[in-house]
Amino acid sequence: MTRYFQSEKLIVAFALLCLLPAAVFAQNNGGPRMDHENTLPPTPVGPTPMAPDGHPDLTGLWNGLADNLLGVPNQMHNVGIEVGTDSTRDIYSGVQIATWPLQNRKRQNNEQNERAATLLRRMGSNRPIYKPQYWQRVKDFDANSNEEDPSNNCMPAGVPRMGVPSYIAQTPTYLIFVYPGQGGLIATATSYRMIPTDGRKHTNLEDLDGTWNGESIGHWEGDTMVVDSIGFNSTSWFDQLGGYFHSENMHVIERFHRDGNTLSWTVTVEDPDVLLEPWTTTPRVVLLNPDPKAILLESLPCSERDFAHVVTKEHH
Amino acid sequence: MLIRAASITAIAKRAAWAALCAAFILQPVGAQSTNFKASAGSKSTAAEAAVGATTTSSGDVAKTLQTAAEALGLARWSGVGGQRLPEVDVINTMEIWGSGTTYSPGPSSKPGEPGTAFKTEYHAALGYNPPAMRVEATRTALGPAAQPGAAPQHTIEVVREKYAWNESELGAGLVPGKGTVTPAVAAVNARLLQLWTLPYGVIKAAIAAGGKTKVSTENGATVLTFPLSGLLSDVMVKATLDAQNEVAKVETQTDNPAHADLNTETEYSDYADHGEILTDVKSPGRIVLKQGGHPVLDLKIKTLDANNPYLIFPVPANVKTAAAQ
Repeated sequence: MTRYFQSEKLIVAFALLCLLPAAVFAQNNGGPRMDHENTLPPTPVGPTPMAPDGHPDLTGLWNGLADNLLGVPNQMHNVGIEVGTDSTRDIYSGVQIATWPLQNRKRQNNEQNERAATLLRRMGSNRPIYKPQYWQRVKDFDANSNEEDPSNNCMPAGVPRMGVPSYIAQTPTYLIFVYPGQGGLIATATSYRMIPTDGRKHTNLEDLDGTWNGESIGHWEGDTMVVDSIGFNSTSWFDQLGGYFHSENMHVIERFHRDGNTLSWTVTVEDPDVLLEPWTTTPRVVLLNPDPKAILLESLPCSERDFAHVVTKEHH
Repeated sequence: MLIRAASITAIAKRAAWAALCAAFILQPVGAQSTNFKASAGSKSTAAEAAVGATTTSSGDVAKTLQTAAEALGLARWSGVGGQRLPEVDVINTMEIWGSGTTYSPGPSSKPGEPGTAFKTEYHAALGYNPPAMRVEATRTALGPAAQPGAAPQHTIEVVREKYAWNESELGAGLVPGKGTVTPAVAAVNARLLQLWTLPYGVIKAAIAAGGKTKVSTENGATVLTFPLSGLLSDVMVKATLDAQNEVAKVETQTDNPAHADLNTETEYSDYADHGEILTDVKSPGRIVLKQGGHPVLDLKIKTLDANNPYLIFPVPANVKTAAAQ
């Protein structure tokens, strides 16, 4: 037992060393890294550029937040928690959450930091409502995600778990989304989507082979780009954390709305096989990279993370 | 070498336990205060009486609450969202497994006990955002009330905000044909009280009470006094902290005769991280609940998952209908 404990400590230390390249890489991805004092969404600045067809132009490098997930909103924001300097709010419920000022913050070591992160990532109230027979499965998946997470071993995150694209190119008939992979311990493979916006209809579901990203088709509803996707495999989870599995009947509706230099992304997941009702994420807002010359740098190769994560379930 | 290290660790653990036990034994809880008698329509007077002579400033109250929140592992921060983020209350959902004895009206199991005792397996799933709790208990009668061969009683009691109901199985009433659900409108307040008198509920509610929360010292122990809110707004809480600033005792009182079941006294002890996946959230290892001075529940906690697990409490349609009538 003691031998195991000592080995465990060594492996944890090694895992933390493995984390370093990811952290360093995240600081060099083309955007200004912000040492966040809050997780409030960025305030829109400037006019919204319009495409020749009269719709907003979504084209741009959307990694201006440049935090540890390549510019997408950090994970506190992803669970719908807005942390300010002296107040915190659950966006979904509107509930105010007790907050203690930074200067009074208790010191903690890396292990405490990791455990706190696990709690922080899961404290939001906006959770999908599964049918009761699946409640235990979701809990088990989340608790054992170091072994069960389908994105382990460099597998794709899939739609919508892959989040907001870091780069969007908009043409009159297509959208191109690019999702850079992340190396190190936070391992995801680079991915892309080519989304027709030419008015075509979905293929019949029964004629589609289920895939990670499904079949996506976009259309405009006013100034909002709506990307509708069907035809998934049942392998992926549909949010970054939580063990939220789905069936092949999942239907995903993404809504992109540009306001100046910000882009809001909201997702609705329908899956009558496993969910009691459709689930809609709290909006996640990304920021345009302020550097007009910024480009997406090459991602580090995805490295399997089983070794690090098999050690403990506390930091997943 | 490893064995020696293990022995040293074991000795250190024993010493820590001894110190902890000594702290509990020597801790003058002093929470049997006879002046914790809220009178109808005079909450502030009752609160002032309850806190005794030492009422501290708002700054002291905030400091005390932060210390208590940190002691429980409720106030936390992490670099995950930014290295310069403040501490926040990270506890939303949790799950508790325990076993022990519960008591209900009926023939006593042994002299001095108020009613029938039951050997009880206890499982609670709870959340604070929204406020909700599902308690699943399997009870087997002890003593004279025990029926040889009788099947244990299994109950699932749920509350969420203003709704309460009983389920024949987990999540009954949400999917057609899956179990039966029985509204329990009259049980809302008592079930909500269970949620808000847990150590985490106490700290959250004391913070939410804002300027109405008072801090005092009784027999060397820190005491928080505050009113609950919403459906429980006629309930005053007196919470006594131990030497580690953990919630050791919670007394609730109301002058509303219709809510006599809300006059309770709960003792929490043997704090530790009881999670299989450690969270640094401290939870009591023993919970003893009394009403009218008589035990209602005496529970040893086996496991507590404080990791904000997936716990949801959808309200069945017929429960909403019953509450609206």
